Amino acid sequence: MSRKLRVALVGCGQIADAHLQEINKIALAEIVGVCDRQVDLAEQAAARFDVPQAFDDLQRMIAEVQPDVLHIATPPHTHCGLAIDALKQGLHVYVEKPFTLDATEAEEIFEVARNVGRTVCVGHDQLFDPVWEACRARVKAGELGRIVHVDSIQGYDLSGPFGKAFASEPQHWVHRLPGGLFQNVMSHAMYRITDFVPDREPAIWATAFAPVSDAGTPTELRVMLRGQDVTAHLIFSSTIRPVQRVARIYGTKASLEVDLDGRTVRAFRKLTAPGPFAKIQAPARHCGEAARTLARHVLQFLRGDIHYFAGMNRLFTLFYQSILDNSTPPIPPREVCRVTGIMDRVFRAYQEETDKSRNQTGSDTRELIPAGLLT
Amino acid sequence: MKIFVTGGTGFLGTRLVRQLLQQGHHVACLVRPNTDATAFVASLGAGASGVGRCEIVRGSLTNVQECGEELRGCDAVIHAAAAMTGGAPMLFMNNVIATRAILAMIPGSAVKRFVLVSSLGVYGAGQLKKGATLDETTPLDPAPHRRDPYTYSKVAQERVAWQARETLGVPLVVIRPGVIYGPGRGAMSSRVGLRVGKLLLRMGGRQHVPYTYVDNCAAAIAAAVTAQGVEGQAFNIIDDDLPTAKHVLKHHRRSVERLHVLPVPHWAIGAASGLCEWYHRWSRGQLPAVLTRYKSAAQWGRLRYSNGKAKAVLGWRPAISFDEGLRLSASCA
Repeated sequence: MSRKLRVALVGCGQIADAHLQEINKIALAEIVGVCDRQVDLAEQAAARFDVPQAFDDLQRMIAEVQPDVLHIATPPHTHCGLAIDALKQGLHVYVEKPFTLDATEAEEIFEVARNVGRTVCVGHDQLFDPVWEACRARVKAGELGRIVHVDSIQGYDLSGPFGKAFASEPQHWVHRLPGGLFQNVMSHAMYRITDFVPDREPAIWATAFAPVSDAGTPTELRVMLRGQDVTAHLIFSSTIRPVQRVARIYGTKASLEVDLDGRTVRAFRKLTAPGPFAKIQAPARHCGEAARTLARHVLQFLRGDIHYFAGMNRLFTLFYQSILDNSTPPIPPREVCRVTGIMDRVFRAYQEETDKSRNQTGSDTRELIPAGLLT
Repeated sequence: MKIFVTGGTGFLGTRLVRQLLQQGHHVACLVRPNTDATAFVASLGAGASGVGRCEIVRGSLTNVQECGEELRGCDAVIHAAAAMTGGAPMLFMNNVIATRAILAMIPGSAVKRFVLVSSLGVYGAGQLKKGATLDETTPLDPAPHRRDPYTYSKVAQERVAWQARETLGVPLVVIRPGVIYGPGRGAMSSRVGLRVGKLLLRMGGRQHVPYTYVDNCAAAIAAAVTAQGVEGQAFNIIDDDLPTAKHVLKHHRRSVERLHVLPVPHWAIGAASGLCEWYHRWSRGQLPAVLTRYKSAAQWGRLRYSNGKAKAVLGWRPAISFDEGLRLSASCA
C-alpha cells in the first residue's frame, strides 16, 4: 500500500488533542475526519487540527470518509462496542487506554479482529517513550542481570481540569468504571510493571483508600504483585508531590530508576571504591550520568526534538507501519488481554480487601473506604 | 422577579446575586453538588438584605437538565458560569455544550429573558485598524480557532446562543464584559502582558485596556434582566475611564507585588509573535505557539472601546471609577 493511511477519530475530548497533533506529524497517515456525539467538540477539533470534516454520527463518518483506521478516544465503557463495530466494517482500530472495561471485552475485540483480519492497537504509549525504550534496551543488554522487582509510581493531580470535572460530577463516566479513577489512569503504571513481570496470573494484594485529609472517595491505591520470578509494587497516588511517573527496576547486577517526566534514567551499580571513597564514587557516577543526560537533552531541545507525546507518536507510527506491512502489531493482543486481566484482578482484590476490613473494623471506614466511585 | 443564576458563587456571580437580592428579586442559584455553599451564603449576608430570597439549586453545568424544573419556573436566567482554564475540549464542554443544554430548556418555560454573560474578547479585534473604535457593530472573530481556547469557546458559545434565538425564539440578551477586576482578583491580566514566574513581558503599554470593575459589571447584568425591549441585542460592558496597560502595571507593582518587567514595544509585538509561530512550526510543537500574529493583533491592538450603547439603552452607569476600583481591590488583597 503506497498511499497514506486514511485515519479517522471518534471522541473529541482531552486526549483527542494529543492524537490529532501527533497523527498530523506522521507521513504515513492523513486525518480524514473526526466525530463526536457533541458536534461542538467535533467541530472545534476539526478547526484546530485542519481536519477536513467533522461529524456527530460515527456511521455517517465511516460511510463518507472511508477511513482505513479508526482511533477510539471515547470513554472506556464505549470502547468494546465501537471497536467491534469498526472492525466488522473493515477498519483497523486504535483504542485509547484503558482498553476495555474488563478482560472479557478485550478477548471479544481480538476475536473479532482475528476473524476479519484487522489490527488492533491499545494506547500503552509510554512503553514507546524514548526513555522507556532506552531502559528496555539496557535491560535487554543484560546490564541489570535478572530482574527481581519493579516499583511503579503513578501520580495524579485531582486539581487538574479532568480531576475537577469528575470530582464535581457524581454522574461522570469515571465513577461508573469497575475500577473508577484507578481504572482510567493506572494502565500506565501497570504496563510498566507487566513489561518485566511475564506471569499471566501473578498473585495480587491491593488496597484502596481516601487521603488522610479527605474521608471521601478513595484516590489512593497500593498494589503488590508476585510472579514466579519477579515481584512488583504499584503506587497510585493523588497526594504524593510532585505528581510523578517513575519506575524502578531492580536486577541482580544493578538497578535503574526511570523518570518519565524528566526523561531521565539513573543507574545504581555496585560501588567498587573502598571505604569512604564509595561515598564519593556514588555521587560522581550520578553526576556523570546527569551531565550526559543534560547534554543530550540540551541538544535535543536545540534540534526541537523534545515532545511530551513522543511515545504516542512512535506507537502510532509502528501501528500504521504494521498495517501497511501486514506485520506484527507493536503490542501483541495476548499482552493487551494479560494486562487487562491483571487490572481486573487488582480491582477485585482491593474491593475484597475493603469489604474484609469494613467487616473487621465495623464503622471505622476512614482508611479503607469502600469504593464509592467503584459501585 | 425570580432569576435563575449560573456561576452565582463565582467572582462576578457573588456580586451579581447580592445586587439582585438588594433589588428585591428572588434568586435560584445553581451550585455544584460538591461545593460548600456556606461561604457563599455568608458572603451574601455580609452586604445584602433578603438572603432568604436566595435558593441554592444543586446541579452542574454538564448535567443541567437535572435542574430543569427549577429553571423553567423562573422569570429570567442569567448564564454567568464559565470555565476559564483547561484545554479547548474541556472549555467547550463547560462553555458551549452546557450553554446549548440550558438554551434547549427555555422554549415553553416561564423564562422571559435570557442573559448570557459573554466576553469582549469575542470580537475580531485584530481586524480593526489602529485607533479604531470597537463597539457592538464590530463583527465576531471570523477565525476564533486561531485565538486562545477560552476565547474560541466564548465565540462558539455566542454563536450557539444566537442560533437558539433564531431557531427556538430564546429571549436573548448578550453582555460582553471586558476584563473584570475587583477584590479577590487583581487588575493584572494578559491585556497588560505575559507572566513567566516573576517576570512580566509587558506588551506595548500605551494601549487602553478594556476593564470593568466587578460591581459595575454586575450592575449592567442586573440592568439587562429588567430593561424593556432589548431582546436580541448585545452590550459591551467597560468602564468610562479606561487605564493604559502601563498604568495598571505601575499600580500593581506599587501596591500588590514586585515584578521584573521586560517591555516589548508595540512595533516588536508582531515580529516576536511571528518568530514564536515559526519556532512552533519548525520544532513541531516543542513549545506551544503562545504568541501568534493573529492572537497578538486581537489582544494588544491600540483601539478605542465604546460603552455608549449600554449607557443609552440599559441606562447603566459605571459607578466605581478605575482608581477607586483599584483602591478597593488593593484593600482586600
